[in-house]
Amino acid sequence: MTDELKFPERSNRDALAEPLVRLLRDAYAPPGAEAYWHGLEQRILARTSVANFATADGQWWSVLGGWAQAGLVAAAAIFALAGALNQRFNASESQFVYESVLQQNTPEVLSAPTDLLAAPEGSRSDATLIYVLSH
Amino acid sequence: MNDPARIPHEERALAEAARAGDHDAFAGLVRLHQRRAYLVARAIVTVHEDAEDAVQDGFVRAYQALDRFDPRQAFGPWLNRIVANAALDLARRRKVRSTEELHDALQSPFRDPGEDAELRTRLADALAELPERARSVIVMHDLEGFTHVEIGEMLGIPGGTARSDLHHARQKLRVLLKDLRG
Repeated sequence: MTDELKFPERSNRDALAEPLVRLLRDAYAPPGAEAYWHGLEQRILARTSVANFATADGQWWSVLGGWAQAGLVAAAAIFALAGALNQRFNASESQFVYESVLQQNTPEVLSAPTDLLAAPEGSRSDATLIYVLSH
Repeated sequence: MNDPARIPHEERALAEAARAGDHDAFAGLVRLHQRRAYLVARAIVTVHEDAEDAVQDGFVRAYQALDRFDPRQAFGPWLNRIVANAALDLARRRKVRSTEELHDALQSPFRDPGEDAELRTRLADALAELPERARSVIVMHDLEGFTHVEIGEMLGIPGGTARSDLHHARQKLRVLLKDLRG
């Protein structure tokens, strides 16, 4: 508005002649039918309704997004804990198996040659056969 | 234009209600302003279908930005700036329209059928010769009566540039259509 006040007469000093303005107005004439404007209004309102729904939808997703973040952190923690427990359980199971093998089999394995060594030549083959059959 | 005392009571009530989330009130604003918004968009994009797209985009953007609208101000100028931005975005995406396309666009189906077809053709040719922005300025000023400052705000240029564009556009049209002057 300020430059209109500074140069009040200049903008219309070189104004186009009325016939030219009429031609311009004709070229840029908007649709006249009321039905057209009603239709445009309906299209605009349909789009704003969708935008409204999308915004509400976006809010839902943003809430879920927050939950998802917390869920991801919790899942990662549970996964790490489960991994650690699993590793620890496997280690103790291996240790248990190892120890039970040592405790149960070693005396027998070690006792067999003792028996075999202690037996006389003839009965040594019998003792080997008995040992193999017993296992 | 933005003087709060001059804003019609109906428009202010609708703007406040729309801002509070009343979709029907927004429909009222659409009814009040869609014609003017169309003219703003058409001045920028020229083609009717593009103007319609820009008007729809503009109203959707305005709807989404209602919480930033100050209801003490007039809704129309605020909306027109948003619609003009939507039209400028569209014009940028469309890049350069061919002269032929502009020609068809200016042979508007909404014209007065009594007008001479040759005159319209001459005018379309002359308008197609103008730079895009100068065409927008002359239409906004000489047909819609916007001030240089308002045009500057809508097109993102200083008011003085709008004034100078208008002057050059008028000069060029006058030369191109000198034999049509009454």
